[in-house]
Amino acid sequence: MDKTIPEEKLREELDRIIREVTESSAGIALTRGAAAPGKHICTVHIGFRKGFHSSLSLRADAALFARLAQSILREEHITAQDLEDVAKEYFNVLCGHIAAALYNSTHISARFSVPSFHWGNYSPKDHREQFVIRYSSGQDEAAELVHHVPVPQAGHEAGRT
Amino acid sequence: MAKRVMVVDDSRIQEVQIRKMLEGSGYEVVCYCRSGEDALAQYDGVKPDVVTMDIIMPGMDGLETAQAILEEYSDAKIIMVSSLAYDDTFEEAKSIGAKAFLSKPFDAEQLVAALDHATLG
Repeated sequence: MDKTIPEEKLREELDRIIREVTESSAGIALTRGAAAPGKHICTVHIGFRKGFHSSLSLRADAALFARLAQSILREEHITAQDLEDVAKEYFNVLCGHIAAALYNSTHISARFSVPSFHWGNYSPKDHREQFVIRYSSGQDEAAELVHHVPVPQAGHEAGRT
Repeated sequence: MAKRVMVVDDSRIQEVQIRKMLEGSGYEVVCYCRSGEDALAQYDGVKPDVVTMDIIMPGMDGLETAQAILEEYSDAKIIMVSSLAYDDTFEEAKSIGAKAFLSKPFDAEQLVAALDHATLG
């Protein structure tokens, strides 16, 4: 992706979309933060399968994912399965909006994998973190949106990421 | 009598949300399928008034599933549901005969409007 869109422009788009989707999906207002998530974190991840070769993950305090689930399901009591399912669906929606924004900028039609969910941190193999955007929810919860790009193979020039 | 809705989405969250949004709306979720393959297998037995179909699913995606259903049941009313809301996807959905496109996230009002459009329009 970084070969198609300048990194700063991509950061701006991702930042705008995560705020809008989180607010409209769950009524949670994210603001740019400095602190990393704490010890009890979860990660959701997708990889682009068509159009781009990069991937995105969102790692956040489990408490933030729990609040997302409570809001989206309109239920006070949620299970671990609820949290996982909501996190995947929320990230699916988020990445769909990102793909739409990228299409508007590049006219490249993107598709991405079904989101995977991980308790704890997760980093995709053969990718490196290109940049991280940190957020605070205003309730002592933090999140990080991470853009991963493929690690170039020795002797090969990386293609469009 | 409530109109019968089939929800096809690999995320059960979507089914839970749609079921809650449709309470008292004149529509009722009568069948939930977690995959395109499941929807194809169940469509004939359920004969829903309208289908909401997610696009990104493991296995057959929603566009492939909708196309397969419409090839066999040309009067099927299918609403494509996705966050991939851009021209390319709209055109693909339209070209296979989908009645409407609903962009995630949506609210109850938008959902019922899309169902009305598909079933009455």
